[in-house]
Amino acid sequence: MIKKDLSIKYLVGSHQVNSNSQKPYDSLVIDFLGELSNELIRNRLAKKFTDVLALAFFCRKKNINLIKKKFFKINNPRLGLGLIFHITPSNIPTNFAYSLIFGLLTGNSNIVKVPNKPFEQIKIICHSLNKVLEKKIFYKLKQKILIMRYDRNDEFTKKISSKADARIIWGGDQTINELRKFPIKPRGIDIPFSDRFSISLLNSSKVNKLNKYQINKLIINFFNDTYSVDQNACSSSHIILWYGKEKIKAKYKFWNNLTELVKTKYRPPQISTIDNYTQLHQDFLNLKEIKKYKIYEKCLYVLDLKEINQNLTQLKRKWGFFYQYDLTNFSEIKKIINKRLQTLTYFGFDKNFFKKFIIKEEINGIDRIVPIGEALNIGLTWDGFDLNKILTREIVIK
Amino acid sequence: MNLINDIIKLEPYSLNQINKNNFFFEKIKLLTKFHFNYSNDYKKILKKLNFNLKNLNRLEKVPFLPIRLFKSFDLISIQKKKISNIMLSSGTSGAKLSKIYLDRENAINQSRVLQNIINTVIGKKKIPMLVIDKKKIYDVNNFNASMAAIKGFSLLSTEITYLLNNNNEIDYEILNSFLKKNSKNKFLIFGFTGNIYLNFYKKLDLKKLKNKNFYNSILIHGGGWKKLENIKVNNKIFKEQLSRMLNIGKIINYYGLIEQTGSIFFECKCGYFATTIFSDVLIRDENLKTLPTNKKGIVQLLSLLPTSYPGHSILTEDLGQIIEDKNCTCFNNSKKFIIHGRIKEAEVRGCANI
Repeated sequence: MIKKDLSIKYLVGSHQVNSNSQKPYDSLVIDFLGELSNELIRNRLAKKFTDVLALAFFCRKKNINLIKKKFFKINNPRLGLGLIFHITPSNIPTNFAYSLIFGLLTGNSNIVKVPNKPFEQIKIICHSLNKVLEKKIFYKLKQKILIMRYDRNDEFTKKISSKADARIIWGGDQTINELRKFPIKPRGIDIPFSDRFSISLLNSSKVNKLNKYQINKLIINFFNDTYSVDQNACSSSHIILWYGKEKIKAKYKFWNNLTELVKTKYRPPQISTIDNYTQLHQDFLNLKEIKKYKIYEKCLYVLDLKEINQNLTQLKRKWGFFYQYDLTNFSEIKKIINKRLQTLTYFGFDKNFFKKFIIKEEINGIDRIVPIGEALNIGLTWDGFDLNKILTREIVIK
Repeated sequence: MNLINDIIKLEPYSLNQINKNNFFFEKIKLLTKFHFNYSNDYKKILKKLNFNLKNLNRLEKVPFLPIRLFKSFDLISIQKKKISNIMLSSGTSGAKLSKIYLDRENAINQSRVLQNIINTVIGKKKIPMLVIDKKKIYDVNNFNASMAAIKGFSLLSTEITYLLNNNNEIDYEILNSFLKKNSKNKFLIFGFTGNIYLNFYKKLDLKKLKNKNFYNSILIHGGGWKKLENIKVNNKIFKEQLSRMLNIGKIINYYGLIEQTGSIFFECKCGYFATTIFSDVLIRDENLKTLPTNKKGIVQLLSLLPTSYPGHSILTEDLGQIIEDKNCTCFNNSKKFIIHGRIKEAEVRGCANI
């Protein structure tokens, strides 16, 4: 179907991928993913990558069957769209695998372009995929999976785009704009994961009540949401909002405990010292909202804001550079909510509190509100898109 | 503001550490105060840093600006109408360039100090200079590091000759005629390290040389080893190969920032860069605390020259260390240091990937 091009590196599968629709949550696909899960767990090299292990955990049979259950609550039969072209991002090494899994589960064939960065995790996962694909029983699936890597090749991108029934575009606004230069079929759709911004909300009264064990747990959860990906995931927070009593005490407790963890567990590149120090100076000159700052550690800068507004959702940072603000009343949070806001991670609130707030206030942004620690947990509803529905077509039979 | 008039007649390496430290610190303090008063951006930064001039009692406490700031902001301590030239750093295409705003006084001082320092290497008499580069058109608003360096060095030469044509190829007619005229006496060869190696050494066809007499030459080069990284050519190999092929009299490496043009650092025979009465160096760790001698860290450079812009104390993106070597008897009055190279750029970690 796709002509073989020598400048393209095929990691899994071949150019013989088809574009047929299949039924979603096919038992063969579920078995395959279960085998992949086992294979990854068995893979010695995978042991040192928690993100690869998380992936293995995600695609185990038990979990997939749970997701399947939720899907089949719909009435009309659904089938996959056909062929999906996945353009995956360079900041999260396992992202490509989740994208592939979503495509497979929804009954589609998949062409996945991985980032040029030679992540070890990509190598490990592709190796395991290939191993499982060698089994006779999964022979059919070879035509549903093509994973490749190539340097900028407009001809090729144009070609696949024209054959795809859908494009899942990870990688932010710039990538999306670039891809949109290449047209897709008239009936084709783009699922674009654009630049998003995320924040955290903490209840200071609750933070103050935490014992040593509990505060440690909170800190580890926060660390996993942010530092584990150099604060560079769409769901990693950059602005921390405080709400409740005795905020000064809570902030002292939170940041100082985080400092200890960052000192011992975070291994950033040397350039982070320069990047953070430079960012501080740039903010001094560019942001009128800065009240004061504190450098807890070379990779923990915290800047206090005088106010919050829509412009602040552009402030994406790296290597542990945060802004914080004290909410005087809860609805003040609306000042910072806009369409760029993806995830709000929280601590010390009940989820029903948010349900009530969202409906009452008809907020203009935020696609996920999850506890601190779950920021990076990807699922089939992502960035406000229900991929189960979007990647399948519903056939009306009357 | 002129901080060098009283010291410009001195030999650049003449003051011992104690004497130098005293007057240097006093002058840097004056500069800090000056830029605080005359650069709004600099004042803003120092105020936000809660910096108190009254507490400034040691060189280590002088605030240092991260070098990248000059790429994104127009940092200036003079009125716009007083700007006489704007220097641009030579960056990679597409990357932002540093902009340095000079008034006449600052520009002249850069030349004076450069001359003062270079004279220690080539002597007080002006000599002919062969530039391993192609001739460039000077423009007051578009003056980059290589032009600044060439212009600076050219003031000390009786004549300048550009060796390369527009295609960066060696013009043998020019080369042979220059050597015929000048090789019997001292002459200067000047250029950027990468350029000299790749466009001169590597491409030189000895057969086309009518007279291979480089014995009286002094080769001064600077600009770093980045371009030669992938072919694994370092300082030692550079010197060896060039000496072997051409028997060049002296090969001297220099280090300097365009943000502090003029107060350059020459390398001694032992391979160490040395501070002069116009400059100083500090090394900082990853937490930006100063490090003692022989410890590797981030290089901070101080210079008495920047008066039209707040560039007197800059945190670079280079790694280096101050050296104490009992076996090195060069520049005994100076602080000696080595540069390990640029801090590795973080691999592009944006979400984007096409």
